[in-house]
Amino acid sequence: MNITELLKDLNSRGLEAEKICDGEIKVIANKDNFITHLHYLQSINYEHLANINGVDYIDENEFEVVYQIYSYTDKIHIIFKVRIPREKPVIQSIVDLWEQAQFYEREVHEFYGIHFEGNKDLSPLFLEDWMDLPPLRKDFDTERFSEIVMGSMRNGGKK
Amino acid sequence: MNFDSYTLTKIAKNDKYTTYDLFFGPNHPGMNGNFGYVLDMVGTEINNVRINAGQLHRGFEKLMERRGWVQNLTLVPRICVMDPDPNEVTYCMAVEKIMNVEIPERAKYLRTITLEMSRLTSLLISIGGAGASLGLYTIMHWTMADRDKVLDMFEWLTGGRVYHIYNIPGGVRRDTPKGFLEKLYETMEYLESRLPDYDSLLFENPIIHKRLKGLGPVTKEEARKTGLSGPNLRASGNALDIRKDAPYAAYSELEFDIITQEEGDAFARALQMRLEYEQAIDLIKQAIKKMPEGDVHANLGNLGMLKVNPGEAYAKVESSKGEFGYYIVSKGEKKPYRVSVRGPSLPAGFLWATKHLPKMKIDDVAVWMGTFGICAPDFDK
Repeated sequence: MNITELLKDLNSRGLEAEKICDGEIKVIANKDNFITHLHYLQSINYEHLANINGVDYIDENEFEVVYQIYSYTDKIHIIFKVRIPREKPVIQSIVDLWEQAQFYEREVHEFYGIHFEGNKDLSPLFLEDWMDLPPLRKDFDTERFSEIVMGSMRNGGKK
Repeated sequence: MNFDSYTLTKIAKNDKYTTYDLFFGPNHPGMNGNFGYVLDMVGTEINNVRINAGQLHRGFEKLMERRGWVQNLTLVPRICVMDPDPNEVTYCMAVEKIMNVEIPERAKYLRTITLEMSRLTSLLISIGGAGASLGLYTIMHWTMADRDKVLDMFEWLTGGRVYHIYNIPGGVRRDTPKGFLEKLYETMEYLESRLPDYDSLLFENPIIHKRLKGLGPVTKEEARKTGLSGPNLRASGNALDIRKDAPYAAYSELEFDIITQEEGDAFARALQMRLEYEQAIDLIKQAIKKMPEGDVHANLGNLGMLKVNPGEAYAKVESSKGEFGYYIVSKGEKKPYRVSVRGPSLPAGFLWATKHLPKMKIDDVAVWMGTFGICAPDFDK
């Protein structure tokens, strides 16, 4: 399947698909049924899950979970995006589709506080005894954090 | 493996000191990097593994949201110490994709050369490490000494030995110094002349064959499905390479074949590194011969004040360990909105560790890590 056929196919399935550049498209999916679409993509040889990452769109009060998917046969990379509300950051886990998602989801959970339903182990992976807000959220104040932990001063102590 | 059949397990029932937790890293001679596994041991057999990551966590991704587009170039190479250039190139490629900039031809070749030189330095550590983790330290001394020759060339070209910060959005920082390419060609010929020595000491060594064959096998389908990339994927029989599938820099103009192995065990992965090392030397020679004259960077104005238009892109590069990917979101400001890094080590270092290690002897852990090319900073970013 080439890139135009793929875009047509995905749009007919109710996804917002758009070409970014050669060999790369972005897809916006709904959080209620994105797993069916990922199932479908996996069945048409999109078998490589490169990464899962979060983005905090604080102005729109939403988190975005981004799945980086690639097909070794079609040579097309899909940036597969799902938006979830910031107040209730819950999304379904895709561990059943890709085993390595276990660890990527654990990472996103740790840094954004997004809960992945169905992932059995979301224990902290990188941070030790972290009690503050999840650090990659945009409302996490890095300067306040270093004031508390390191005793540093804002603007290098200048007024 | 059935642990009850082992005498040690029987002893363990009476002797409480036979089962213990072993902290394999961050401070262990067999560990390459600031990372660790906590191994539940029964004598010398591993029963279970827990991942002890986060020793190196500095929050690169968060730091990058607070710094300018070009300032970040000093941060990204630190995500992989052994193989820093793919990070610079991937970051620049993602920025160029968003800005829709085409870089000059000569810059493409210079990028290819730095990428392949970086691959050489990384593979030299890996090959030496594979020997050293089996107690064969001679090969480690040889490869580290030869690596210094490549680092000398890096120093001449970029001013830095370990972190080069040579690639910038729009091309590379400056053109080659006078006489550099000729000297680089000589260095490549020297490195090639060393290969028979490596072979006779390491890859034709019957002890290495005995220790590595059959260790940590990965099948063809499993490798594709669990996110393995680069040499680990090809060592399992998949003829896949980003340099061929989605060519970047000048790879589309160079001639090379995708090298694969069939077995998918630790020996195949070690041999894969050795063959890709030879291929990298050949690619550098080709690039030197074919390099055109011309500009080395596109004019993007004052880079310190660089503003990138709103957009997003994912760029990827075939590093010595696998796929390095950068997903960048820009909101049209002086700083990126989000930079997410895909490191090649996570599938092997986390997922395959939980699959392979519980069947293994403690002696094999270090070399198992070495052949997978697990490098802690790229999942601890």
